[in-house]
Amino acid sequence: MAEEGQVIACHTVDSWKEQLESANTSKKLVVVDFTASWCGPCRFIAPILTELAKKLPNVLFLKVDVDELKSVAEDWAIEAMPTFIFLKEGSIIDKVVGARKDELQQKIALHSAA
Amino acid sequence: MAVSGFEGFEKRLELHFFGHHNDPTVTMGLRLIDFDSLNQVLRVVQCAVVSAVGNHFFDAYVLSESSLFVYPTKIIIKTCGTTQLLKSIRPLIHLASDLGLTLCGCRYTRGSFIFPESQPFPYVNFKQEVICIEENLPDTLCFRKASVMPSKLPSYSWHAFSAGDGEHFPADDTFTVEVCMTELDRVMARTFFKTSHDSAAAKGMAELAGIDGINPRAIVCDFEFDPCGYSMNGVDGDRYSTIHVTPEDGFSYASFECVGSVYDDQDGIVETLKKAVQVFKPATVSVSTTSLHREAWTTVVRAMELLGLKCRSFVMDEFPAAGTVVFQTFTAARRK
Repeated sequence: MAEEGQVIACHTVDSWKEQLESANTSKKLVVVDFTASWCGPCRFIAPILTELAKKLPNVLFLKVDVDELKSVAEDWAIEAMPTFIFLKEGSIIDKVVGARKDELQQKIALHSAA
Repeated sequence: MAVSGFEGFEKRLELHFFGHHNDPTVTMGLRLIDFDSLNQVLRVVQCAVVSAVGNHFFDAYVLSESSLFVYPTKIIIKTCGTTQLLKSIRPLIHLASDLGLTLCGCRYTRGSFIFPESQPFPYVNFKQEVICIEENLPDTLCFRKASVMPSKLPSYSWHAFSAGDGEHFPADDTFTVEVCMTELDRVMARTFFKTSHDSAAAKGMAELAGIDGINPRAIVCDFEFDPCGYSMNGVDGDRYSTIHVTPEDGFSYASFECVGSVYDDQDGIVETLKKAVQVFKPATVSVSTTSLHREAWTTVVRAMELLGLKCRSFVMDEFPAAGTVVFQTFTAARRK
């Protein structure tokens, strides 16, 4: 059962697939943070993302470590970190590359309202 | 000319390290410095991170006053305004040492301040800055040189300091180009004032000014300041580029810095430099090129000449651990 208001880390390919499927059916906006444990810029945005997750329980926030889930990062062609991918009903609707706080907030507002 | 305003001209610091036992395979190195510690150093310098991105080669941070680049064995910090950049040397050496990294090279450069009277100590004159740097360098960096490279214009000089240990040298095929532009085209400068259209659908300053076209391959991580000002870092493989804009009339300034390789097709670099300067249409351009190759500066001249700019001054000097530094100034061909 997805916890409300938190960034959920996917540590296995299975849990990743599970989360995506449940989001598809619920038609929720999904924001995936492709991150790396050694990535400074990722650590800069982490607290901001946590705050956003708390404030927006109707959006599903997922976190994928590119080293842990190499195949997923490769499938999604992640070149820089953090990369935020926006999904709705199984399709990619937007992307933010970099720890860009304003752009992230604007796009979340835009897509969660739609 | 304004009596006082925001100082666009940056102070730039570059620190090189090597791993214990001269390990050539240092993979993450300085990138392992935890973000909180990095933030602490920036606080001492009097700036903060506003945007950031990283790839497999390095981390790029856009700061409230310019940029920070963290590579495994190299850190570059560029700050404008009245920041205390040199205060970062000691804590960075310390943080690197905790990771088993030792300082082997240090470079500090800047142009001439538009408002020198507004700078805090030790930035009151270059001599004081050099004294301050040297106080923080270990004795192992025993090959040192400081020089003020002049131009024909009294308000445009290039101040350079370099120190090395005589054993470790930077990659020998690359060159760094630091472009400083003043008296920007007034109409174009207005692009860098924040408007009230603040939605995700509105065109950003980068797109409006044509900055994203300078290097289409690069990932652009930028920040638009309120009420005006713009900063961006470009990330292209292991190479960075960076642009900072102070658009206010009376002290308008823009800088562009990038890295090239002597093995690259030089036409590509000429194109990049030309496009960058073309965005701002400045009245005066001063450029510093640093390389272990003495001919890297010819690429810069080619780019400037394509824009109808004529080289007004040329100074070349050798610095330990940095190589050849060439400083040139350019103005429109029809002007004096």
